[in-house]
Amino acid sequence: MSQKGSKGSIQDLFGKLVRKQIFIPIAALFFLLLFNLIFDPGFFVITLGTNSAGDPVLSGNLITVINMGSELAILAIGMTFVTAASGGQDISVGAAIAIAGSTLLRVLCGTNTRPAVGELRTSILVAFIISCLVAMAFGAFNGMLVAIFKIQPMVATLILYTAGRSIAAWINNNELPIISDPEFGYFGGFIPGIPVPTPVFIAVACMIVAGLVLKFTNLGLYSQAVGINESSSRLNGLNPVFIKWLTFVILGLCVAVAALIKVSRLSSINYSVIAKDIEMDAILAVALGGNALSGGKFNLWASIVGAYVIQLLTTTLFKYEVPSDALPAYKAVVVIILVVFSAPTVREKIGNLKKKTVKREVA
Amino acid sequence: MSKKIRNMTDSNLLLAITVIVFVLMYVGAIIFQGKGFTKPQTFFNILNANAGLIILACAESLVMITGGIDISVGGMTALVSMSCAVYLDYHNGNVPVSMLIALLIGLAYGLVQGYLVAYLDIQPFIVSLAGMFFARGMTTIVNSDPFNVANESFVALKLARINVPGMGSVNKKGVYVNAYVEIGVIVALLVVILMFMMLRWTKLGRSFYAVGGNRQSALMLGINVKRTKFLSHLICSVLAGIGGYVYFLHVGSGAVTNGQGAEMNAIASSIIGGTMLTGGVGNIIGTLIGVLSLATIQNIVATAGLGEAWWTGITIAGMLCVFLVIQSVLMARKKKLMKK
Amino acid sequence: MIVKNHKPKKIIELIMLLLISGVVLCGCTGSAGNNKEGTDAKNIKREKSSASQPVTIGLSQIGSESDWRMASTESVKAAFSSGAGYNLIFDDAQQKQENQLKAIREFIDQGVDYIILDPIVETGWDSVLSEAKEAGIPVIVYDRRVDVADDSLYACWIGSDFYLEGKRTCMWLSDFFSDRGIDHNINIINIQGTMGATAQIGRSKAIEDAVYHSRNWRLLAQESGEYTTAKGKEVMKKLLAKYGENIDVVYVENDNMAYGVIDAIRESGYVTGADIDKGEILVVSFDATHNGLQLTLDGAIAVDTECNPLYGPRLAEMVEMMEAGEDIEKETYIEEDQFSAVGYIASVNVEDTEYPVTYLTSKIIDERAY
Repeated sequence: MSQKGSKGSIQDLFGKLVRKQIFIPIAALFFLLLFNLIFDPGFFVITLGTNSAGDPVLSGNLITVINMGSELAILAIGMTFVTAASGGQDISVGAAIAIAGSTLLRVLCGTNTRPAVGELRTSILVAFIISCLVAMAFGAFNGMLVAIFKIQPMVATLILYTAGRSIAAWINNNELPIISDPEFGYFGGFIPGIPVPTPVFIAVACMIVAGLVLKFTNLGLYSQAVGINESSSRLNGLNPVFIKWLTFVILGLCVAVAALIKVSRLSSINYSVIAKDIEMDAILAVALGGNALSGGKFNLWASIVGAYVIQLLTTTLFKYEVPSDALPAYKAVVVIILVVFSAPTVREKIGNLKKKTVKREVA
Repeated sequence: MSKKIRNMTDSNLLLAITVIVFVLMYVGAIIFQGKGFTKPQTFFNILNANAGLIILACAESLVMITGGIDISVGGMTALVSMSCAVYLDYHNGNVPVSMLIALLIGLAYGLVQGYLVAYLDIQPFIVSLAGMFFARGMTTIVNSDPFNVANESFVALKLARINVPGMGSVNKKGVYVNAYVEIGVIVALLVVILMFMMLRWTKLGRSFYAVGGNRQSALMLGINVKRTKFLSHLICSVLAGIGGYVYFLHVGSGAVTNGQGAEMNAIASSIIGGTMLTGGVGNIIGTLIGVLSLATIQNIVATAGLGEAWWTGITIAGMLCVFLVIQSVLMARKKKLMKK
Repeated sequence: MIVKNHKPKKIIELIMLLLISGVVLCGCTGSAGNNKEGTDAKNIKREKSSASQPVTIGLSQIGSESDWRMASTESVKAAFSSGAGYNLIFDDAQQKQENQLKAIREFIDQGVDYIILDPIVETGWDSVLSEAKEAGIPVIVYDRRVDVADDSLYACWIGSDFYLEGKRTCMWLSDFFSDRGIDHNINIINIQGTMGATAQIGRSKAIEDAVYHSRNWRLLAQESGEYTTAKGKEVMKKLLAKYGENIDVVYVENDNMAYGVIDAIRESGYVTGADIDKGEILVVSFDATHNGLQLTLDGAIAVDTECNPLYGPRLAEMVEMMEAGEDIEKETYIEEDQFSAVGYIASVNVEDTEYPVTYLTSKIIDERAY
């Protein structure tokens, strides 16, 4: 009797866990880690070395994952809000990163595309704030089309998707500024003396801010309400137009932060390549997090875990010497497997299968 | 005017806008830039260069009308052209079999994507996103270096020109040159006509609109929603295979960058042509005009001396923006009129 | 509702269909008729006032992927300015041959006087160039070559002798090693450009030939870095992981890749420099861009062979000659320089011609146009 009970409760617990939204990305994460553990435990080795400047740096595949996954995690935050409130996705984030990055360099360099060390026009902070404002303005433009003109998000953001990289090239007159100031490289690399890559700190900071916003404001609740039913949320005194618009502006801010990291990594920019296809990865992160792409209820942390799953997948594939151009093919297969297993119909079927076997056992 | 707007269906209203804007644009180009745009060949060159895109856009429109989306068509174009190119040049293949390869790739894509979307209820965006990734990655696995196909019978087919009777222009030397189209254009126009007839006059065609417009009522009308959705993706992918081949026939090379951004151009053309992403509204003729508008504006921008790469992107986006806002305002206005 | 309204819609549809086809057909036939007289009249007018009317040039450029390409574009744009009596239509093909084909057809449709083309690849130009010939528009090809069955399809070609550039670099290397008395095996890695590009073919052939004819040079690996910094870095990191200390010389086929290669070497804990016996990795590169020369001055690049992007003046010269009806040579090469801050070698000798090597100073870098 007691045995049966405990078995039941374990099953219950397991069932509950499986039903939890965050289960899917975490399971995927564990699966990938397990895969690496079995085939090459060396994947987990982290070493403390020194870089060319003689500063201590941590390196290893896991460090690469949390380092390179930072931009994606930051974007996933904004994308989750947009998805929840508007029931659509912003496909212009890659292009917007190009714009924000280009603005950043333009403000820093002015017309001189090769400023020597210490020759920057303004401080990096000022340039960053300006690029934030620009990115938020473009976010607001997207938001306006979606919220006021009631255009579906994917279509509305298609405009900026098409124009973004062109605008970015235009901002810098199609020149490719290179910043030689080492300080500028800190945001995408290492701060001297700290062995953990800076993007990790930036990503964590963004997550903390997002967590605080969710905890202390009603933004999360409101955007869910708007996403689930716009007219009833209006009847309840919310302003769906404003909330939708706001989520796009927030995504704009996330874009600016991601752009800072991206541009800092290279100390330069390439308009047609920077953050290419990152919008697809960001949307994928949201979907892997088990969030409905049609809006409504969301789980921010699941999206963030989803982002790191994608990066882990990329790093794993790189490890097995998959050339970077062929990477998408493998990624597609894994994505399809993940999505198929998290599809409601499939889960239902699996659930039914389990019930049947349990019943048979009982019988 | 308002009465007329009220009497028009959504689809016709949007189509009317598209047609008017396109005609105005072309007439404007003739008036202000003259010279080239008065030559019939300019128009036919636009058709030649965009025959593949026309087919892709038709495919996209069909899925959009059914309420879905397919962003894998550009990747498929690359995969089809690279596979056929490798087959033709490295394996001494013949042309009919290469066409079969294109169709088979389309069919395989359609079956898998259609099944995942229709029967497993996975969001079409994610399915076709994976489809796009797969196609792009697979293309580099097939062959990563771009090359021009040298297969003789293929090149002959590629260079085949069909003279358009009664049209032509006099060149600088004073010789009359007949205007021509490539074979791909004939295929594209056939696809447009067949798709138009299918969507207008067959039961299947109407069920696509019904499913895209309102699933619930489609169910009540006795339409098999899942099967319809499956078919829309199947047809879309097969068409994308054909479109990919037509594109390949025009450029004559296998390259990973082939068809880059074609999915977005196809979606943009459909939108400009009056297809709504929410489903249930759309028109193939509009899509054709959409592709032509997009190509014409690019041509105008290039020949106006705005050759810097960024102008193309910015003008297309601007045009898309204008269309979307006009559509949204008119639809809102119409809704108000309907309520009255 | 949609199904209900089916009938009236159908009629409107049909009317639309007829209307569109009508408009399109009328527009075309109408203009075709007018056109005969129109172009004739224009032709006569042009001939009469050819002195005062600007010469229209269509320029199809590959893209703006590197500093070199942009310097080249700027040079051509400056040479064909409206002040000099030209009307330049510029088209940036963004790395796609498809776009270049489209641009040339647009130039033909617009009836430009000359087409200038920097082709992205060598093949696939026959049909579009014969269209240009049919339309009576001379095509000047520059930088990279075109591979067409009938070479009367283009008027002339001007560009770099990439094989010679490679030869000069290899000659410099061999002079340098004999000067230093280095006699042991030398392991070389070749980071190639985009496969199939003229520059890649010429430069790769030069090093392959040099290795073939040499007693102690060995080619460890050849891999394409696609002319970009990012790809160059990726490839170099991989090769460093594979060959590590065995690498003596990296032969990089352009400066943009060299930035990536040098980054990769430094990040992997190796040192760039000419002292290969002390474990330094010697990097040689091509193009001589501003940044490339800066690195040459610092010694990170041992020798940088110029690939002159300033085609503008030479192209303008050619167009002027053609306007005047003079004969021009089918193929010409542009003059190029070689820079090094490792100052042992004053000149290199390739096939009995002496080519000077410029000793690089910061003054030279500042005075250069790009």
